[in-house]
Amino acid sequence: MAWSYVLFAAIVEIFWVIGLRYSNSIVEWLGTIIMIICSFYFIIKACEKLPSGTVYAVFTGAGAAGIVIVDASFFGAALSIKQLLFVGLIIVGVIGIKLTSDNETSEKHVHTYKGAE
Amino acid sequence: MAWIYLIIASFGEIFGVIGINYYLQRKTFQRLLFVILPFGVGFVFLSMAMQEIPLGTAYAIWTGLGAAGAVLMGMIFFKESTSWKRIFFLLCIITGAVGLKILH
Repeated sequence: MAWSYVLFAAIVEIFWVIGLRYSNSIVEWLGTIIMIICSFYFIIKACEKLPSGTVYAVFTGAGAAGIVIVDASFFGAALSIKQLLFVGLIIVGVIGIKLTSDNETSEKHVHTYKGAE
Repeated sequence: MAWIYLIIASFGEIFGVIGINYYLQRKTFQRLLFVILPFGVGFVFLSMAMQEIPLGTAYAIWTGLGAAGAVLMGMIFFKESTSWKRIFFLLCIITGAVGLKILH
């Protein structure tokens, strides 16, 4: 569940970055602010279970990659090879950190259990 | 001066992430302010820095310094893992994010 919170935070970030760019009425600005609050709520929820450094880096990376992809698919921005490489690097990093931190979490649990005995 | 604003903005992110840990230890409204204020002040300084430094450059440096700083603080103050695998994959993510924002 904690990883889903990171994902939600990054998805909501894409919307509020678009909001920051295109809002020009009070309602749109209000919506943008609500989305900023939502994404930080999800970050805090994720930090309850995962290391904050991981959460913040994944949130930043997934958001940056997501915005570039949304720009290319919906706003007609050109996607260069360099951009694709950086998006790929982020994806490798996110998958890697998820796989390795799952191992570490289970080790941490074993540790706590032994400590409790 | 713009570069100093940019560094202050990055520290906003770093202290914001420390604030999250602090808030999670005890969820009070006062502690929530330690999350809101640093991020809020950080954004203000980022926009001030962007008046002189090109948008892409400012955004990239802010992202990189902030995320790397947040990771380091987690390791120093909150006992987060310092395994080389974790550092390697975090570096991939941060490099990717900085790269995208420079290109933007």
